[in-house]
Amino acid sequence: MDHHHTHSTNPRELQMARSMCWHCQSEVSGEYFCDRCVKVQPVSKETDYFTCFGLPRRLTIDPNKLESKFYELSRAFHPDFYQNKSEMEQTISLGNAATLNSAYRTLRDPIQRAEYLLDLEAGSVKDIRTTPPADLFEEIIELQETLDAYRETDRPSEAGQTLRAQLQTKRTALEQRQQDMDTQLQLLFSGWDALQDRGAATDHTRSERERILKRMRDILSNRTYVKNIVNDLVATIG
Amino acid sequence: MAYSDKVVDHFNNPRNMGSFKKDEDGVGTGMVGAPECGDVMKLQIKVQNDTIVDAKFKTFGCGSAIASSSLATEWLKGKTIEEAQKIKNTDIVQELNLPPVKIHCSVLAEDAIKAALADYQKKADVK
Repeated sequence: MDHHHTHSTNPRELQMARSMCWHCQSEVSGEYFCDRCVKVQPVSKETDYFTCFGLPRRLTIDPNKLESKFYELSRAFHPDFYQNKSEMEQTISLGNAATLNSAYRTLRDPIQRAEYLLDLEAGSVKDIRTTPPADLFEEIIELQETLDAYRETDRPSEAGQTLRAQLQTKRTALEQRQQDMDTQLQLLFSGWDALQDRGAATDHTRSERERILKRMRDILSNRTYVKNIVNDLVATIG
Repeated sequence: MAYSDKVVDHFNNPRNMGSFKKDEDGVGTGMVGAPECGDVMKLQIKVQNDTIVDAKFKTFGCGSAIASSSLATEWLKGKTIEEAQKIKNTDIVQELNLPPVKIHCSVLAEDAIKAALADYQKKADVK
């Protein structure tokens, strides 16, 4: 197996770097415990969060399965079991537990999971940073200015009521847009997973992967802007 | 994490907050955002005879983003277009003593300057 292609188009080829057990020097390849001497092995820095849980790089994850795997591994690295072990083993198990905690927090949330995947795949996609959506910024700045104006008006006055009604309409429209974005994301997630399941890297799947990742990047960043402005609206007009 | 005194000062007394009319003669507008945090920044310059005579900003975001854009408008005033191109985000980081997690705010300010300059050039070229 070729280990130089970490950005391989087939995620199932991605494995933890082969290395040696720190204790008995026999070969280990990503297992948490050495086959021969059963000593705990450190998670390597190159290991991504999906691999930590033995998962393929898919965007649909069964939360129950993820949780039980997390508990299983947390038990395996629990400090209680290492009290009488060597200092090296204590350090390694503590480090592994910390990594797994971050991995779990990232993967259990669908949005964070997608953002993490984008970071992982960014190297394989050209121009993943897309052009900023200027019209969205314009809309947001205009809306923020209306919000400022509303904050400064006498709220029960007629002017205040008019502004409030305007903001309310905007809020409904933006919340609808949030829902639409989430629906689109779901479709992209399924599209990505279908490509991952197919495996074989043809020119077509490669360009399709790029298309999905870029589209995801776009929606995820727009989503953040929209979320912020909706939060401001909710905080101001309730 | 605490903000540096300079950030607090710009945040409490923002310089040059406001806006020009976008279609006004000699005005260049840059609008940028940081997808990581959702901050949005609008920075405008007013140019006469190749010199920036005035600059304004509106930023909706964290204290560091507001301070970065406030500082940027101060620096822009009186500079030529060429000099303005040379403002780097690292200059802003240094001046405001921004911590690593807030460096993207200074990047945002640099992007906004570049976008405003590009917009001005584009409008000038059309004429």
